[in-house]
Amino acid sequence: MSEMQAVTGVVNLSAGDPALAGEIRELGGAELLECIQCAKCAAACPMVLAGFSFFNKKVIHAILLGLREELLDDSSIWACQSCNRCTEVCPREVNPFEVVQAMRRVAIREFALPTLSVEGLKSLYDTGHAVYLAGAGNTRAKVGLPEKPPSTVASKKALQELQTIIRNSALADLGIIPMGETGVSETCEV
Amino acid sequence: MKIGFFVGCNTAFNRPDLEQAVRYALPALGVELDNLDGQSCCPSWGTLPSVDVAGWCAVGARNLALAEEKGLDIVTVCGSCYGSLAEAKYKLDHDPELKTRVNELLRNIGREYKGTSQVRLAHYYLDHELGPDRIREALKYKLDGFTIALQPGCHSLWPSKVYFDKEEDTFHPRVLKEMCEALGATVGYYTRLLDCCGMGAMRSADMEKSFHLVEKKLVSMKEEVNPDLLVTGCSSCLLQFDTAQKFLQKDKKIKFEIPVLHYMQLLALCLGADPEQVAGLAETNVRSFIDRVRKE
Repeated sequence: MSEMQAVTGVVNLSAGDPALAGEIRELGGAELLECIQCAKCAAACPMVLAGFSFFNKKVIHAILLGLREELLDDSSIWACQSCNRCTEVCPREVNPFEVVQAMRRVAIREFALPTLSVEGLKSLYDTGHAVYLAGAGNTRAKVGLPEKPPSTVASKKALQELQTIIRNSALADLGIIPMGETGVSETCEV
Repeated sequence: MKIGFFVGCNTAFNRPDLEQAVRYALPALGVELDNLDGQSCCPSWGTLPSVDVAGWCAVGARNLALAEEKGLDIVTVCGSCYGSLAEAKYKLDHDPELKTRVNELLRNIGREYKGTSQVRLAHYYLDHELGPDRIREALKYKLDGFTIALQPGCHSLWPSKVYFDKEEDTFHPRVLKEMCEALGATVGYYTRLLDCCGMGAMRSADMEKSFHLVEKKLVSMKEEVNPDLLVTGCSSCLLQFDTAQKFLQKDKKIKFEIPVLHYMQLLALCLGADPEQVAGLAETNVRSFIDRVRKE
């Protein structure tokens, strides 16, 4: 075995980013340091069953080791179902789901997010719905409903309220989506 | 009795027949619906909850405030809406600093979050407020002799601490089962009952892996229950099970089809609703199931 092969997959502990854990705790993963890597969360996680490379326990471990680039290079965190089995079973009340969400929040601040998430955010801002189908009026009429549900798509004032909230939220500072005055138009199915 | 009906994106735009089922079934049982005019997305997990806690909770709090202003609880049929709204509420009610920040955001639009309305999932609301007996008495059609498999849905169960309506043991849930039994059906247990369906973020991120989960579930319920119908407690699970089966058949992963309905659709049908209006958008063959029920 050559020297290069021997070090493949070995984590250089002194190369980790010690600031990452602090960012995660600031962005919602407050109980991160309570984790003892017992893996009850992994045993309950649908992402493990489906075969994703990073899942709750491993994400937490990588954060504690400061492996920022490895986490940003892998899109697994965006497949988390937010099902909260992990939160339910965690004996240390780490709330692993919230740590995964916090890792998404770190990734978004480095613009490492999937296109579908950008589209979902844009659709939320433009229509008030993350999932919006422009042609749904016909389907709704077919089952005897008004073409628009009683939501932001049927009320300009309600949409403006929502847009005001979003324009004053952290999303506005990140510049991921344009935030002008908009009308409801395009389809978004995420 | 009156509640605020929170429709949610997928129900309003993908499966409005489910929306129509709620608008039929709840009034038929004496529950009046308020539209919560101006409601928005909950917001769903991949949007503001993935950006920051305050933005997530502010949009959730605006939806909650619409119900609070009318003195109503919120009722939804979507697990994601249920989870996102209930988790936002839990955070707001347990973190005074966050509540202050969120109310600053709401002040710009002339609203305030107080914490007076509860977030309820439709069949849990019915179980808690009416109970199975009142439902049994109102039925026009009964499901005696029919076998059902269940898909409770992750968000109806976890994290249990944020929900107003509780299961005694979330890993042995009973509410959806008892609500189906109230319709006269036999409910079968299968090993993968509590598995995730794979809809949502996972399906967006990797469809193959998502379908792997739904296939495992379908095979397990087919082998162990062989149901006439699969009943979900969540609109996202409904979409996944109703749309994935034709792909799995095409790939020769399954050689059968199980018709799928949300519990509120099945309830509306048993209360006498027009099948085209409350189940007309199903891709699986629910029509033959409905015809059999109505012939009995």
